This record gives sequence, structure tokens and C-alpha cells, in this order.
Amino acid sequence: MSGIWVISETPKIAWEMLAKARELAGNEVVTAFVVGDYETGMDAISFGADQVLLLEMPANIPWEECRDVILKAGETNKPSLIMVAATRRGKDLAAQLAALLDAPCVSECKSIIKDGENFLTERIVYGGLAVKKMVSNGCLVATIPPGTYHPEKIEGRSGDVKQLKPQGFKMVVRERRPKPATSVNISDANIVVGVGRGFGSKEEIQMAERLADILDGAIGCTRPVAEDLRWLPEECYIGLSGQVVRPALYLCAGVSGQVQHVYGIRDAKTIVAVEKNENAPIIRIADYYILGDLKEVLPALIGAFAKAK
Amino acid sequence: MKKIVACYKWVADEADIRIDEKSRALNFDRVKYKISEYDRNAIEVGNSLKDKYSCEFVAVTCGAQVESSLKDVLSRGPTNVYYINDEILADADGGVTAKVLAGIIKKIGAVDLVICGEGSGDEYGQQVGPRLAALLGYASCTFVTKLDLTDEGLMAERKLEDGIEVVQVQGPAVVTVLPDINTPPIPTLKQILGAKKKPTTKLSLKDIGLSRDACAPKLKNIGVLGTVMERKGICMNIDGLSIQEAAEKLAKRLSADGILG
Ligand SMILES: Cc1cc2nc3c(=O)[nH]c(=O)nc-3n(C[C@H](O)[C@H](O)[C@H](O)COP(=O)(O)OP(=O)(O)OC[C@H]3O[C@@H](n4cnc5c(N)ncnc54)[C@H](O)[C@@H]3O)c2cc1C
Ligand SMILES: Nc1ncnc2c1ncn2[C@@H]1O[C@H](COP(=O)(O)O)[C@@H](O)[C@H]1O
Repeated sequence: MSGIWVISETPKIAWEMLAKARELAGNEVVTAFVVGDYETGMDAISFGADQVLLLEMPANIPWEECRDVILKAGETNKPSLIMVAATRRGKDLAAQLAALLDAPCVSECKSIIKDGENFLTERIVYGGLAVKKMVSNGCLVATIPPGTYHPEKIEGRSGDVKQLKPQGFKMVVRERRPKPATSVNISDANIVVGVGRGFGSKEEIQMAERLADILDGAIGCTRPVAEDLRWLPEECYIGLSGQVVRPALYLCAGVSGQVQHVYGIRDAKTIVAVEKNENAPIIRIADYYILGDLKEVLPALIGAFAKAK
Repeated sequence: MKKIVACYKWVADEADIRIDEKSRALNFDRVKYKISEYDRNAIEVGNSLKDKYSCEFVAVTCGAQVESSLKDVLSRGPTNVYYINDEILADADGGVTAKVLAGIIKKIGAVDLVICGEGSGDEYGQQVGPRLAALLGYASCTFVTKLDLTDEGLMAERKLEDGIEVVQVQGPAVVTVLPDINTPPIPTLKQILGAKKKPTTKLSLKDIGLSRDACAPKLKNIGVLGTVMERKGICMNIDGLSIQEAAEKLAKRLSADGILG
């Protein structure tokens, strides 16, 4: 058992993980599994890989069906660590590889430290309430969220690039419907107005939009507002499974403040809540709050902020 | 008749977990347990397929203290629940859990479709579903928002970062479903009473041929640290202040804090 594998469908996340892999590997071999042509392979080498295996998937096959061909590549030598990009496809693939290698899998791993033969890892548990530290023995699989590490290009590196030919698929893609491009970007906003299920209808969100306009802020929301009610685009939802924001002000209304949502606003400098239920968890984690019906409070806030500006 | 299994995890309600401000240790003293949030969607998918195609539909779970979950899950539609309750599973990681669930599912036999939630409420590892698929030799079809059975397998819509992918699967599969696939109804009184009359099937690790050694987790927990936040907690409309006045007070406060312009 030696060496590190880096597996990613997108080159950028592969480069990020390669930086960490290079640091952990020492003299051991770093193998990158990436999608693309010879050029892509050479890029991976310059970002830290010693050898590259290109995965060429037929267009109508989901990428994560490359599972078996990846395992085959490891028949003669099991790596000590397999890093996989924590995209939805990546998480699926990583868990399957882990099962077939009888290895542990740390999902959305936040840190990896080498400790002799073992790895110490950290991840978030209980909906964002706590950080769990773990030690693994034997081959470890970890999925790494995009943006965790900084890619570093190293001049003058060389290595092998080979092509793999995946086969043996269980799923066929019948149709793909790309997501329409949105211009939503709430992670950089200085002020975020948060919309929760306490809004009675899509029309009422206009109040939040007016507030955001006056404050020069962006609109964010809870997961059910985006996914169940579909009142706002999915890029808007904040929390454990959505965006993490760090604005100077997070002002929300009709948001109960469940742990999974709060995970995404933990680092807001100031939290303001508008809520009709004084026992809602959001009250316990707000700096300032107004108890009342948002249909009454938001127009009052729009007036007050307009005056204050 | 197709045979469908939904897997659910019996988890601590995270809203009841308290964190000690000083030690940052988690306090579970007042914690109630529940069927993991998104597993209710998984169960409801099985339930509606049962009604639509008159399939056989059962639930499966494993853990250290899962017996109190049985009535609850049976009130949500399945006709039986197969489970393993063993103290050794208190430390189970995703790898161990998947082995146990795969063992139970093999014991049930000839299962066409296994439905899991997107991720469990406590771990949210999003791994037990695809692990199960690999162990059973089934297709792994994850992050599903629409699902229908076909004669040979199933058709599903998966929601991925860049859009929707419609896939066709031949043969048996494990699917994991996103919460937007349905809205699980709250069981009615009649369903709750009816659950008491349904059978349950208790299995042991021995029954599924899994040794206690195989149940040792390969990931050892070496500490859980709660995150705490320091917040002011100031109510703006106390002392009989009107909403209008409270709003103005808040605007002044935020200006004074240097947050507004
Ligand atoms: C594994 C997992 C991951 C999750 N990930 C996320 C995530 O990333 N992001 C996320 O947001 N959620 C996530 N969730 C869901 C989360 O647990 C909550 O269900 C969700 O955040 C609740 O959204 P809400 O606050 O909008 O709705 P609710 O909890 O229904 O709260 C609505 C609030 O509005 C108040 N209200 C109602 N009417 C009014 C009114 N007229 N005026 C003022 N107040 C009013 C109510 O008192 C209530 O407090 C996750 C759940 C799980 C299990
Ligand atoms: N102990 C368990 N018993 C039954 N099903 C489980 C168990 N743990 C996880 N699952 C299933 O696997 C899914 C993913 O779990 P996880 O990998 O922990 O996020 C859950 O939504 C459940 O459907």
C-alpha cells in the first residue's frame, strides 16, 4: 500500500487536491485520474501528479461509472489515500470505491494530517453543530470540497500520461438539461437578506427584495424556500448543503434557524432576525431581533433604513 | 411483483443537542430520537410506488437502539420492518452500516429497488447508499428528484451541480433521493394504530453472517467539538415599543455599529 490517488471530473479541483497530495506524499507516487486530453494530463503533472490516467467516458454514460476501471488500475498496488472531488458525482464514486476496497470514507473532509501510518481527519457532523476528529487505519478515501486547497504549478515536472478505457456500465443517460446560468453570487455580498418559509407567498418576497435593494445587499434563503417551494434559485440557499456566507450583516425573516441553516451564517458579523415565534432557535443566535409578523415588520424596516441612509 | 426496500436511520434530533459553552462538549441529556429527516422522503417514495404498482414494500434499519423506531416507520406505509439492534453498532461508520444493511437486504432476497435518503441527519456522509449499491452489485443512482419503475428497471431524474440528468437503469438499483422528490405526509391516527398490527422482523449479525470483527469501524472517533457563537441577543421591541419604533431603533443601532453605509 503506497501512493496517493487524486480523482476529479474537473481539472481545477484536481489541481487543488494535487497540491495537498504532493505535500502528503513525500517521495511516494501521486496518480491523477482526470477527464480530458493529453494537454489536460500534462497540466495535472505540472500541478503535482507523477502519472496521469485519463478517463474517457462515452457521452451517454454518467462519469461516476468509471468506478471499475479505476479499481482495476489499483489491482497491483492499493494507495494509502484516495482523494476525490466532493461533487455529487464524486461523492457517489468515492463511496463505491471505499465499499469495494473495504476502506473508510470521510465525506467533505475539512482537514487531513498524516500521523505515521495513519491519517487524522476532520469533518462537520450533527447538521453543522460540531466538528468530528477521526483517525483511520489502512487505505483512506476522502472527498474534498472544491476550494479547500490552493493549486500550485511547479515548473519543470515530468511524468506519464496514459489513457484508460472504461467499460461495463449499469446506467445510460437519456437526456441532459443543463441548469440555466444565473448571475446569483451571494458568497461575496456584504449584506444578505435571508428569506425563510415564514413568507406566505412568492409575492411577499418582494418585500425582502426591496429591503435588499435599499441595503445594497443580496437575497439568500433557506433550503425549503429554494427546493420545495422553488421561490428562489438554488444558488440562493444558505447552509450545510448550500452556500456559506460571511457578510457584515445577515438580516433574515421567517427563518426558524435550524442548525443546518445556521451552519451557513455562523461567520456573519451581525445577525438580525424578524420572527413571530419567540421560541424559534434563530432568536437564540441573533444579535438583534424584532418579534412580530414579517408582513408588518419588513415595511417598517424598509421605511427606517431608507430614512437612515 | 417488485420488491422495494427503504433504508432509514434512527438519529438524535440535532435541535435537542446542547453544547457546553466552556468545554464545547455535546450534551445529549434531553435528546429525542427521530427518523432522519430525508429518510422520510425515501420511505414516502417507496410507499407511493407500492400504491402505484402494488409492489411489496418493506423498511430496513440497523443501530444500537432502533427498536423505538419500529412503530413510527410502520405508520408511514411499509408492511414490515427488518432490523438489527446491536450495541456494537453504536460506533458503526458508513462502511460498517453498509455491510450490515447489505446483509439484511440479501436476507430479504430478490430486492429490485433500495431507496435511501440523500444523507443522514447526524453524519450526512452521503455514502451509505452508493456503498450499498457497490456491495450488492446494484446500479448506484444518486441525488434523484424523480423516479419511476420500468419493466426492466427504472427511469430517474438526478439533480447534479450543472443540471438535470435523466438516466435509465436496467436491473436492480440503489437510489438516494433528494428532499424535493415529495412531501412526506404526517401519519394519521388510523395509520399509527394500524402500525401496531404490522409484523416486524428482528435479525442478528449472525443471521446475516457478519462477524463481530467485521463490525469494527475503520474510522475511529477521537473527539467531537461543538461550535459556539457569541451573539448579543437583544430584542428591539420590548417595553411596549411599536414595530415602527423598533425598526427605527434597529436602523440606528446598525448605523452605530458601522454596518449601514
Ligand atoms: C441533512 C440536512 C441538510 C440540510 N441542509 C440545509 C441547508 O443547507 N440550508 C437550510 O436552510 N436548510 C437545510 N436543511 C433543512 C433545515 O433543517 C430546516 O428544515 C430549514 O432550514 C427550515 O427552513 P425555514 O427556516 O425557512 O422554515 P421553518 O423551519 O418552517 O421556519 C419558518 C419560520 O418562520 C416563522 N414565521 C412564520 N410566519 C411568519 C410571519 N408571518 N412573520 C414572521 N415569522 C414567521 C415561523 O415561526 C418559523 O420560525 C437541512 C436538513 C437536513 C436534514
Ligand atoms: N443505520 C442505518 N440504518 C438504515 N439506513 C441507514 C443507516 N445509516 C444510513 N442509512 C441510509 O443511508 C443514507 C445515507 O446515510 P449517510 O451516508 O450516513 O449520510 C440515509 O439517508 C439512510 O437512507
